[in-house]
Amino acid sequence: MASITIRNIAKKFGELTIIPGLDLEIADEEFVVFVGPSGCGKSTLLRIIAGLEPCTSGELFIGETKVNDVPASKRDIAMVFQDYALYPHMTVYDNMAFALELRGMSKAEIDQRVRRAAGLLHIEPFLERKPKALSGGQRQRVAMGRAIVRDPKVFLFDEPLSNLDAKLRGQVRTEIKALSQELKTTMIFVTHDQVEAMTMADRIVVLKGGEIQQFGRPEEVYETPANQFVAGFIGSPAMNFFPIRRAGDAFVFEGAPHLAAPVPDALKAALGGRSEAVLGIRPEHFVPVGGEEGVLPVVIDLVEPLGSDTLTHFDLAGVRTVARVDPELRPKVGDRLGLVAQAGKAHLFDSVDGKAIR
Amino acid sequence: MNDHSSPRWVHWLNTLQLTVAGILILAPTVWMVLSSFKPSFEVTAYPPTLFFQPTFENYVTLWQTTPFLSYAVNSFVVTIGSTLLGLAFGIPAAFAVSWSRITWPAVLTLAARMAPGTLFLLPWYIMFREVGLIGSYTALILSHAVITMPIVIWVLLPFFDNIPRSVFEAAQMDGCSVTRILWRIALPLVGSGVAVASILAFVFSWNFFLFSLILSNSDTKTLIAAAFNFVGEGSTQWGSLMAAATLIALPPLALAILVQRWLVAGLTLGAVKG
Repeated sequence: MASITIRNIAKKFGELTIIPGLDLEIADEEFVVFVGPSGCGKSTLLRIIAGLEPCTSGELFIGETKVNDVPASKRDIAMVFQDYALYPHMTVYDNMAFALELRGMSKAEIDQRVRRAAGLLHIEPFLERKPKALSGGQRQRVAMGRAIVRDPKVFLFDEPLSNLDAKLRGQVRTEIKALSQELKTTMIFVTHDQVEAMTMADRIVVLKGGEIQQFGRPEEVYETPANQFVAGFIGSPAMNFFPIRRAGDAFVFEGAPHLAAPVPDALKAALGGRSEAVLGIRPEHFVPVGGEEGVLPVVIDLVEPLGSDTLTHFDLAGVRTVARVDPELRPKVGDRLGLVAQAGKAHLFDSVDGKAIR
Repeated sequence: MNDHSSPRWVHWLNTLQLTVAGILILAPTVWMVLSSFKPSFEVTAYPPTLFFQPTFENYVTLWQTTPFLSYAVNSFVVTIGSTLLGLAFGIPAAFAVSWSRITWPAVLTLAARMAPGTLFLLPWYIMFREVGLIGSYTALILSHAVITMPIVIWVLLPFFDNIPRSVFEAAQMDGCSVTRILWRIALPLVGSGVAVASILAFVFSWNFFLFSLILSNSDTKTLIAAAFNFVGEGSTQWGSLMAAATLIALPPLALAILVQRWLVAGLTLGAVKG
């Protein structure tokens, strides 16, 4: 159990800069998820923490100890790999016992630890099997078991769910979260899936181009995104963005000058002298209303029923837009809908640097 | 290639190719074996006789005129010694090349292997003479390691490369040093590769003629060099030579048959990854 401190860590592969310089403080026993699109540097950052990749500059601390020069084998970190990386020639039992053997632990202690972890992960019936005789989900569990038995300072997960089918992914996700609550160990989980990030993390690190876009609790990142990138990345379906212009005390949609909305008083100061901005509205923050004045009139051209709610697609002010509506509404293609955005749930972003305006 | 979907003529062409290749490879071997059982006057008869009264005369002569058994012992000592030496250095070398992804050392060993053996002869003769090792097993084993080590490295490289990198990384995270990763993780996973490398190294070392001819003495001469004694300046004892050659071919042949399945899998591994 330990905190992790990253001070100005940079990583370059030759001329190519993956991480230009990054600071991060992860608290003891915290479950942090690194999320971002492919090539954002999240896996590289994880591998630097693991010791599998050297950093070009900067400092890395595990607890109070600087570990830049400590090899991976001595960092007391356990890692679950995307392809599980089980030892193919060893049984499940031996896979889990291997690290303990290396530490010179007694056979009785090893046995006790392996069986406890196997019990926790429901893999006792497979202990004598070789990895090739296991399903993907079972292998995944063995990989986690191999990490758990060691009782390490830090757990690292490198996209461990991406090779599982959708149903199993949801199940294992819940299990990992339950496990994290039980083990009370610092955990870092890398994923490109924002649902995994939202559901599992104590805090989320949103990465893009090797830079932290936002570091905060899931609800923080969702409710008050730091910039347009975070707003678009977190949340599914993604937030809708509309370029807008300010005309006195009202906003006018760029794509539809006849659509206008009053500038909320709270934002007047924050907007300053800007004449343009980007308005962001999440699909779930549209409310269908009757045909009265001030609503946004749309014609539905695609419907995706999800059961619990229904996604409707339409064109609004020249922007492809998605709204999440009550399935009881039974929307159909061609239906006309009057929408308003929920008060206080809309976001504004600078049209140049994308930063949130608050 | 899938025979079911190929036209008939492709099938026949394949058969023809294999037959021609088979004849080209097998004919000298068959000729060698048959000749070893022919009476000495019939060995060089032209046209060659196919039907004759088989005799063990050549084998008896071979046994009576040469210390065949001690040559065989020499061959086994040198071949097994150089194979083990090749494995001892070649396995860690192949792993290191695969691990570090720096290939020039492997290319260098290949270059040494491709150089004609005569290139080494003079320097080695002088070097081994200086340290008093001419005629010793040590000199022969060391020199034959030039044959065996590159084989071991190049056979094992694709085997090591085929192990997912993450398996090694998982072992690192588990607390393994690189040396331990080699012995506990990598080596058990390339067992068939080691078998193939050992056999190829054995065969090439067993059949290598030149070093033994120059660096051995009458006590350490290997079979293949000893057989050369039957080639005289005036006349060659073809019958005895063929008998010796037949016997010399037996151990590698036995080995190859024993591990045929591994051999084919190992030889094609580099080509079919994944």
